[in-house]
Formats: sequence, C-alpha cells, structure tokens
Amino acid sequence: MGEITVKALREASFEIYKGEFIVVLGPSGSGKSTLLNILGGMDTPTEGRVFFEDREITNLSEKELTLYRRNEVGFIFQFYNLMGNLTARENVELAVEICEDTMDIDEVLESVGLLERADHFPSQMSGGEQQRVAIARAAAKNPKVLLCDEPTGALDYETGKSILKVLKEINQKYKRTVAVITHNASIAEIADRVIKMRSGKITEYYKNDNPLDPERIEW
Amino acid sequence: MKKLNVRLLRNIKNSKGQFISILAVIITGLFIFVAMNNASTNLRTSLEEYYEITNFADAYVDVMKIPDNEVEEIIGREGIVNAEARVVMDVPFITDNKDEKVNVRTISVGGTSNEINKLYMEEGKRDLGPKDCIVIGQFARARGIQVGDEISIQLSGRKYELNVVGIAISPEYTYLVENEQSFMPRPEKFGIVYIEKEYLKNISNFSNSSNDVILTVEEGSDFEDLKDYIEDTWDNYGVRRVIEKENQLSNNMMYQEINGLEQISGSVPVIFLVVAGIILATMMSKNVKNDRTTIGIFKALGYTNKSIMIHYIKYALAIGIIGGIVGTLLGTLLSGFMTNMYTEFFALPLLKIQIYPMNIVIAALLSSLFCSVAGLWGAKDILKISPAQSMRRETPKSGHRILIEKVKFIWNKVTFTWKIVIRNIFREKKKFIFISLGAAFTVAMMMTTLWMWILFDDMFNVYYGEFMSMDYDISFSKTVSEDSIKDLDKLIESDRIEPNIEIPFELRNGREKKVVNIIGIKKDTEMYKFKDSNDNPVYLQDDGMLISSNLSKALDVNIGEKILIHNFLPNKDDRYIEVKGIVSQAFGINGYMDLDFMEKTLVDYNAINGAYVKSDANIIPDLEDIKNISSVMSTEEMVSIFYDYIDLMIIETVFLLIFSGTLGFVIIYSMSVMSINERKMEFSSLRVLGFGRNEIFGIISKENALMSIIGIIYGIPLGMTFIESIGNVFTTDLYTLDQPIGITQIILSIIFTIICLTAAQLATYRKISRLDFIEALKSRTT
Repeated sequence: MGEITVKALREASFEIYKGEFIVVLGPSGSGKSTLLNILGGMDTPTEGRVFFEDREITNLSEKELTLYRRNEVGFIFQFYNLMGNLTARENVELAVEICEDTMDIDEVLESVGLLERADHFPSQMSGGEQQRVAIARAAAKNPKVLLCDEPTGALDYETGKSILKVLKEINQKYKRTVAVITHNASIAEIADRVIKMRSGKITEYYKNDNPLDPERIEW
Repeated sequence: MKKLNVRLLRNIKNSKGQFISILAVIITGLFIFVAMNNASTNLRTSLEEYYEITNFADAYVDVMKIPDNEVEEIIGREGIVNAEARVVMDVPFITDNKDEKVNVRTISVGGTSNEINKLYMEEGKRDLGPKDCIVIGQFARARGIQVGDEISIQLSGRKYELNVVGIAISPEYTYLVENEQSFMPRPEKFGIVYIEKEYLKNISNFSNSSNDVILTVEEGSDFEDLKDYIEDTWDNYGVRRVIEKENQLSNNMMYQEINGLEQISGSVPVIFLVVAGIILATMMSKNVKNDRTTIGIFKALGYTNKSIMIHYIKYALAIGIIGGIVGTLLGTLLSGFMTNMYTEFFALPLLKIQIYPMNIVIAALLSSLFCSVAGLWGAKDILKISPAQSMRRETPKSGHRILIEKVKFIWNKVTFTWKIVIRNIFREKKKFIFISLGAAFTVAMMMTTLWMWILFDDMFNVYYGEFMSMDYDISFSKTVSEDSIKDLDKLIESDRIEPNIEIPFELRNGREKKVVNIIGIKKDTEMYKFKDSNDNPVYLQDDGMLISSNLSKALDVNIGEKILIHNFLPNKDDRYIEVKGIVSQAFGINGYMDLDFMEKTLVDYNAINGAYVKSDANIIPDLEDIKNISSVMSTEEMVSIFYDYIDLMIIETVFLLIFSGTLGFVIIYSMSVMSINERKMEFSSLRVLGFGRNEIFGIISKENALMSIIGIIYGIPLGMTFIESIGNVFTTDLYTLDQPIGITQIILSIIFTIICLTAAQLATYRKISRLDFIEALKSRTT
C-alpha cells in the first residue's frame, strides 16, 4: 500500500484581532486542530503564510518557533496534559520558569479558583480542576494569545461551562486573545468572532456582535 | 529548584527499582575497576620503589663453578655496571621434628653490605661474622625464628649451627618459592638464609669461586647480547642459565599478578559498563517514547530541544555520578583490603595502601561519560518529536502474522496467552536479543566461574595423582652415579625407587627459544603417566623426547620436528633432538627423555641427580643425615599446601558469582519493568477483558522465560568460548589451563542462572500488582 497524502487544511484565510474571543467550530476531521497547531507554532503548513502581529511565523526557524511558543502563546489541551508528578503550583511554575515578564502565580491560581488546592497533584484533582491548572499554566506565562483545543471536550456540562467562564474572564480581565476550538456549536455564542470549518476549509467566518455570557449558553 | 529538576527527582523516585538496578551494575563495574586498578598501582609502585632502593639485579647467571676473579673481569663490558659472585646452595634445615623436611637456600653475602639485591633489614643488624646468619622474613615469621636464636643447617653431610643476627627481606624473594615447579609459597618449609661470603665458601668447598652471579647493567642494554657474551666468555665454567630480570621467578610472579589485575580491571568493568549502557539507552529510549506527549507539551510551552534533552540525560548522568562516587569509594575500600591480602603473599616492605585520586577521577569520568552517551543515544528521539504530532494519539503498530502462524495445525493448538507471548517475542526483536543475551552472558559467566573454581582442584588431582604418582621427589646436590640409588634404597622403606636426572637446557626452534628443565627418566617408569590432549597414552621412546603442550606452543614445534638443545654443561655440544610426543601437563614446562638416551646425548654416562620414590612410609627421617641430598619433596605435603590456599579462591569465586548473578538479575528486571510501563494500555485492555493480575504476570514471565531459555542454550557454547580464551590467555610456563568444563558445572551454571532470572522476574510482580490498570486506560496525565 502506498502512502496517502491528506490535506488537513486548505484555502483558509482569516484574521484574528487582539483581545478577541475566537471560536473555531467544526466537526471532527475538519482541520481545526491543524489550524490551531499552525497558529501556535507547533506545526508548519506546506504552503501559505501565517502572520503574528507583523511577523511571519511560517518562515521561522526551529529555534525561533520555540521562542515564539515560549513568549507569545499559551496552550490548553482537551486532556489537560499536566505533569503527573508535579503539583498544581509546580505545573504552573514549570511554564513560568522559562519566560520573562510572567504573571504572579498565586494571582493566576486564584483567578482559576485553585489557590487552596495548589499543592495537590493532578491525580488528586477532578477533571475540571485539572483543566483549570492547565489554564493557569498557559495564562501565567502572560502570552498574547491563548490557544485552547477542545478545552471542555472531556468535561461534564457544568464543569465545561465553568471552564469557559474562566477563559472568558481571562480574556476580559487581562485583555488576552483567546482562541477556542470546539465541535460544540453552543460555545460559538460566547465568541466575538467565529470561524466555521468543514473538510479542511473555512465555510463561514463572521463577527458576533452580541456574545453571550458563558452562564447563559446551553447544550 | 527548577521544576524540570523536581520532575526528574520524582521520576527517579517512581522508577527507583530500575534506577537502583542500573546503578548496581555501574557500581559493580567501577568497584572492580577501582579495586583492581588501585591494588595493581599499589603493588607496582611499591615494587618499583623497593627494586630501586635495593638495587635489584638485571640478570642472574647460574653457573657450575666460576673463579671470583673471572667475575670481576666482566665489569664494564657489554654494559655490565656491576657483578656480584655468590654461592647459592639448597640445603636441609634441621628441625626438632624428624618427620618434617625443611629446606633453606643459603646465599653468600658481604659481611657488612652487598651492592646488588641489598637486604632490606626488618630486625637486628646487617653485620655478619662467621657462623652468623640473616634469615628471610617470611621464613622467620612462619617458623617463629627471632634475632638471637640459633638455627642448624646441614651442608655436605655436616651440621652447622648459625646465630641469627638479623631478619631481612630481599627483592629476589618477594614471592618466596623454591623453583618453577613450586606453585605456591610455603614459607614454613622453604626459606633463605644469608651467610657471610667467606664462611659459606669455606664450608661449601667454593674457595675463591662461586656458582651464581648477579649483574646490573646499563639502561637500554640488550639482554640477548649480554647472554651471548656471558655464555661465550664463561663457556668453560658451565653456565647453566642466564636469566633476565623479567624472567626471574619472584619478579615474574609479581608482574603476572600485577598484569592479571590490570587485565581484569581493563576487561570485566567494560562488560558491566556496556551492559549498564545498553540498559540505560534502552530505558531512555522507552521513556522518551512513553513520554511522547509530555515532550510535546514541553515543546508547546517553549522549552528548547536542548533543555528537554538535558532533562532526560540528567537521569542517566545521575546514575553515572552516583555510580561513580559509590563505585570508587567501595573500590577504594576493597583495594585496601586486597593490598593487605597481598602482604600475606608478597614480602614488600613499602607496600602502601594509597588512594590514587587519578584512578578515582578516571572512574568517575568514565562512568559519567558512559552514562551520558547512553542517555544521549536513548534520548535522541526527542529531536524527532513534533509538538503537534505528539498531541495526537499514536497510530497503532503495524501488525503482521509471524511465520509460525502459517503452520495452522500447530498454531491452532497454542493457547491464547502463548499466542500473545510468541507474537510479542517476534515483534520486539531488540528486546529479544537483549534478554536472551543477558541470559547467555549470565550462564557463560557462571560457567567460567565454576570452571575456575574446580580448575585448580582438578589440575592438582590430575598432576599429583595421575600425571606424577611418586610419593617423594628427592634431589641430590650434585650428579652421582646410578648405583647411588641402590644405596638409597637400602636406607629407606620403598615400594619402588627410580633414578632421574633434571637439568636446564635452552631449547631452540628457529627464532623461538626457551630455557626449561629436561627430565631423564626410566623408559619403563611407573612414576609418570603421559597423555596427549585427547587423553591417549604417550610413551617414552628409546630416542627423541616428549615435551609439555605449553612448551610445544612456546617453541612452535610439533611431533616429528627437531629442536636444538643448547647445552650449558662444560664441553658438551649442542644436539638436535626429535619431538616424539606432546603431553598434557598442568603445572610447569618440561621436556622428558629416556634416562639412558639423555645420559648418552646430553649429560654423562651413568649420571643422575635425583630419585623418585613410591612409599607409604615417612622416609624423611631416614634421609636426615644423608650427604648430597639437597631436597625431599613429598607429594602429600604439596597437596595439603594447595588446600591451604584454596580458601582464597573460594572468596574470589563467590565474588564472581555474585557479579554474574547481579548482571542477569538487572537485565531481566529492567527489561520487564520497561515492558510493563510500555504496555500499560495493552494490559489494561486485557484486565477489562477479565484477565487477572497473575495471568498478566504470567504473560510477561512466559515471554522472559522463552527468551531466557533460548539465551541459555546459546550461552553454553559462549561459556565454552570464554573458557577456551581464558585458558589460552592465562596459560604460562607455570601452569597450563586446558581442562574442559564438566557437565556438572554446566548444569549448576544453568540452575544458578535460572534462580537469578526467576528472582528478577518475581521482583517485578510488585510492579504489576500495584499497577492501576483501569486508571491507565483513563489517564492522560503524563
């Protein structure tokens, strides 16, 4: 059997604005994770260009990409991906240690409501708590943009909503750009801007003039 | 502390079993390296200093009788710096116990000093008057002789009483043995007594002449030229042997020990470090594979490849550094113990226990470097991990049918768990090679160890029971006529008595040459049973000679070829003699000829210088006052001395067995633990399907057992190869290691290997029983 080339993403041109809350919506296999990975400097496209502020990131070297990930972006994953043998605080410190101009760790932990549980290991926490640690870890680096890949995908309804609330707070309080990837259409209602995707293409790209509070959405 | 370091420490804590097991291998390797290296450095430096202080001779000339003025003459020629003529005679030492036969070598020395091989005084004074003597330290201690005591020797049938004025040691007898045939020192039976030159010459009929010359030569002098010069110049005085410093018996033994230590310290630790390195690299590579997502997160957080690599390599480096420190400390401690042990064998006044920082630094650097390289090798895949890829689930390994599956009627009969086991073995070829090699090495090392354990025991029993079957070996102080045997026979109670003559000759074949004793014995001798390497009997012929296998190797000569016998006896020509047979001989290096043929061609008609006796009685008291007997060796006594020394060998063997066992244990344990960690998901699925913990443990055990059995099977020929190479490397003029390993030793090696491997397997049970299989399926923390 020969290898088959799959184009995960094609003809995707769009802009994300500073301080906005973006939702990338699409079913599984639509190319949204690939899009996020390219935005985050974790992957490079075979063709096309991506700019972060005025800087093209698609032609950065391996080393420059590392610095870009370190200083400009924060990642949040569906399965939290915490270090199992570090406590909540240590997980946050792990990210902060390599960055300059970071946020106060206690402040971030408090903002995600976990200051009290800071010395617990991930195995001693619920899924929602683990995801909050992941958010704190990403936010504490003080990045310009937070990229969240299905942050509520592994959580129940209530917990999922609470996580969205935390993300929204960070977006509003610290003026951070937040991009959330999801297949859950209801989440698009809290976004300032929505990108809809299908089969590797952007099918819709619009501004939401009346974003809802996460408390008010349902699915 | 940096959080990466915190993670590292916790990782070490979580994998402490594996960490400790690899550490154990590193520590063992360095422990042997440092202990042996320090001990050999201790020995070498002490010996060299000692030789320097005492002006150790560069050459020894054994001559029948030479006027002293002839010796003076050669000083300044052929690079000879100094020459000292001596009288050296082996004589009986008279003890209160008439059943005991003790010999001493009397050596003449200057009254107040001597220039070459100076005595190193331990007690008393160096000044010797007539009837005074200085006794060698080893002998004095073994027999409780003290300064002020009186000792008695018998010389030319007369008893002489001597006052002990001092106790000293000499560089010539650091390792105190009588001759090449004496395998081990027996200080209570053989000693050296230094007597004032003129006095000894008077009582031994050597006025103005000597029978031994020691020389010092200019640095860089060619020994062969010197030897030729001496043999030519002193041709009329019967030069028996010219021995260079390197071949001087004690010095040779010392350097054999030092070189042996250096060889072991240079080879065994390498095996341990290589094994540790392979385990470490494999473990690192598996860890990196298991930590794929974690590494992706590190990269997503902005950590550089370099810092992630360093984080992983630190694990290996930690093993290297801790192993380096602990191994060198333990090794240094053991080297002190070993150096102390050597003082029991070697009389070295300056033998000091010193710590050599250089050895420690080398060991620590070696271990750190080795582990870092292994770590780097194992962690190199970190570079390949793309952060985006690592977040996705890994694609399942491509599965394929193995060859045996095609044989349906067999495959269909295999149970489900055995199917899993067999498929895994064939799919994980690297693991299979490593585990089976581990088992193979363990069984091979066990075989080598057990072979060494029985080797000397066997060699002794064969040598003193089958090869030579006399009860007593009597040496005369000069050649006598064969009729003397009849007189001797009248004095002792013997079942059989046979004359012999044993004289050193230089045997030459092309460019190869070797000085060895040729022994002339009766053609119908009952004292020797010669056999070739295939255990077939070999008989003495009317003409020609038999040679020991190590001599055949040294001269590169085979049956049917002729060798030139260079005769040291005055007025005797060199002769070509044909090799009629090659015989197996455990100890020593010799040639054998029919007595009559040897007398006719090489010596004189009717001349003998020894006798072999078979007797159940103790004949030693009967020989006490007999003139011309220089020594009487009892076979029984030789065997009992050997058993005194065997304890030491047992300790060494136990050490080696522990080392071999550790190796096998660590390999199986580490590989099993790695396998468990790697296959958490697979085992979890099996658990969900209803498999119990014991059944899953059974799968791993069966896999390891099958791989180990295959390893053990090819480990046996590997062990035999080890044994053969050790035999080849360590066969010297003193002993020939060509004994094959017995079936009992092979079976014992297999049993011991199985025990070690089973212990390792059981040690992993805890890992399996504590593994939360269900959690493993759910968890995405890394």
